[in-house]
Amino acid sequence: MAIAQFIVNGLLIGALFAGIAVGFALIWGVVDIINLAHGEMVMLGGYVSFWLLSFATGSTNASPTVFLATIPVAIAVVFVVGYVLQRVLVQRVIGTDIFLTLLVTFGISIAIQQLAIQAWTANPRSIQASFADPSLTVVGLVVPKMKLLAFAGAIVLTVALYAFLQNTRTGRAIRGVAQNPEAAELVGIDVEHTRAMTFGISSGIAGGIGAFVATILTIDPQMGLIYTLKSFVIVVFGGVGSIPGAMVGGLMLGSVEELTVGLVSSRWTLAVSFTLLIVLLVVKPNGLFGEEADQ
Amino acid sequence: MADKQSRRTFLKVAGSTGAIGLTGLAGCTDDGGSGDGNGDGGSGGGDSGGDSGGDSGGTTSGGSEMGTIKLGGSMSLTGDNADLGQLYKDAYELTIQRINENGGVEAGDGNTYELELILRDDGTDASTSRSIYQELIDVENVDYLLGPYASSVTLPASAVAAQNEKPMVEGGGASPEIFAQGNEWIFGLLPTANKYPGSFIDMCLAQDSPPESIAILAEDDTFSQSTAEGARAKIEQSDMELVVDQTFPTDTSDLSTNLGRVRDNDADVLLLCAHQQHNIILANQMESQGVNVDAAMGTVGSLNDSFKNEVGDNGDYIYGPTSWDINANFDDPVFGGTQNFVDAINENYDASPDYHSAAGEAVIITFKQAFENVDELGPTAVRDQIRQAEFSTAYGTVSFDDKGIIDKKMLNRQWQPDPGLQTVWPENVQQTAPIYPMPDWGNR
Repeated sequence: MAIAQFIVNGLLIGALFAGIAVGFALIWGVVDIINLAHGEMVMLGGYVSFWLLSFATGSTNASPTVFLATIPVAIAVVFVVGYVLQRVLVQRVIGTDIFLTLLVTFGISIAIQQLAIQAWTANPRSIQASFADPSLTVVGLVVPKMKLLAFAGAIVLTVALYAFLQNTRTGRAIRGVAQNPEAAELVGIDVEHTRAMTFGISSGIAGGIGAFVATILTIDPQMGLIYTLKSFVIVVFGGVGSIPGAMVGGLMLGSVEELTVGLVSSRWTLAVSFTLLIVLLVVKPNGLFGEEADQ
Repeated sequence: MADKQSRRTFLKVAGSTGAIGLTGLAGCTDDGGSGDGNGDGGSGGGDSGGDSGGDSGGTTSGGSEMGTIKLGGSMSLTGDNADLGQLYKDAYELTIQRINENGGVEAGDGNTYELELILRDDGTDASTSRSIYQELIDVENVDYLLGPYASSVTLPASAVAAQNEKPMVEGGGASPEIFAQGNEWIFGLLPTANKYPGSFIDMCLAQDSPPESIAILAEDDTFSQSTAEGARAKIEQSDMELVVDQTFPTDTSDLSTNLGRVRDNDADVLLLCAHQQHNIILANQMESQGVNVDAAMGTVGSLNDSFKNEVGDNGDYIYGPTSWDINANFDDPVFGGTQNFVDAINENYDASPDYHSAAGEAVIITFKQAFENVDELGPTAVRDQIRQAEFSTAYGTVSFDDKGIIDKKMLNRQWQPDPGLQTVWPENVQQTAPIYPMPDWGNR
């Protein structure tokens, strides 16, 4: 039973990791850069939701319904941030040396952190959105309702992104640019705009999930790095450029981490995660869904 | 989507990204944060090169005009502990301002001096802090050092003080390790970390239905590990059973599974040896995980207003240790007494003072009284004077043992629903009795 509880805890938190990593994978696949500022989009989304509640209601203690109403705003604001960053900064280094793109996005990450500290202090914050009865007990397993809501929200956002990419004109343009930007340009797709849309959408999804993070954990200006790092692990785990891979990778990472916490110790979570990553890279260099990504 | 990376490119990218990520993470886990080390506290420069005596190197100037004594240090003004670091900065600034407004320090060498504060941001980063102290000594000619915040930053900073033979008085580092290095130049105003949980455990054991089991969740940093060590030693002397003893990394954002262990092992008491961020997570996740204990304490950051603001009612009944009671009234040479100090902080700053603020005030007073009582200014003379002195401050009576540790016991405070934060232990200073056991979540 204890192991089942660890896995449930892992899946609940893993869905958030997955939703964040999907955007990271999309930017990697379409814009062809590794966005080291992706975790900061999670942070910004959390703060947008936090301050929106604070200004609108005078308190960050809200019902789940009121909290959910802030999610579209968080997504929209962080979408704009992502779109502008791509247009103004990232676009200038696409196609250059990989280290330059890493440095630029790392610089953006540091700049956003410092601005956030100046604006909001380094105090950890959280949104108090809870149900009257905060948890469910299902066959002996404790499931916090707010975590369940965050899990569902992350899944909905991820599936919505997948559907958007499959079924809309912009989504097809994004996939076209990912496959061959030169050919996409030849058939009339505005590649720069499409890349900026990709950056914005991925950032927006991360921002929406950041709002959920603010309700079940805490947010602070320097929280982004660990989410970027986890996204990197998940994307490599699932296969670069594969959204289903990122989804499965996120859920797996969450489960592995919580099983490690439960069966060994919290101290070993990073070591176990990276060891698994190295083993996977040796055994299956393209990641779990790498073959599908190649097709 | 097409995978455009060749395997070689992919591995190159993976390697470099992992390196950058892990480098950054190492910075965070060191004690949080990636501080940039930019200073924002002191004006620096100025009038060095005076006729300072003893073995000091030109930080003071005497004569007919008022000289200046520089007090320099680093502080967590950004990073994970910036909230607490600001309390020290406020206390330093206000105390020095009051001293200078009152005519400065009438030193034992017959001259009167103004105090100048040079405080720089270390971003809660130990290596940045070390660099700042070395620069303060080498470039700014600072002879008297104010300690940083957090044990993991104070320990390496105190080594710089020892290497350069400059006295450092600190109110932000409580790990016993700081004082176990044979360092004769460090003085600490906080009781050592191993004493933090002792009073809380005593309080629990003194209740009508004392606890039979206890759980420890400890952050993986110098201070928190020292508090956990102190708790384990205390538990060994009691009849309580230690049913959960887990350590988690500083960057852990989810305590659910560890709290599940506490619930499943039916612990009566929960001790969280960690800083404010994890206290917030604990208070919120105890509710969502259905963890009902008789008493729960967070060792640092659980008594701040900012903690209560973030957790709301979930913070009710949580305990925290303090080395100072805001309702105390000790004589103070600058403010007159504790309550005047409290009023002055409340008038000038947003946050109410807590023991960090009072310890910060006492750091400055410690140097002031030393300057007043030495025949000639200089690091060695000032150090020796501090070692033998006993005096009263808003923080309480200050005197140090041979290792440089203040002789002080911890009090316990509890967030209570109606009056708010109350001193509940020891009984001779309590404002009200502790609410023990704390009510189950279902009965709140």
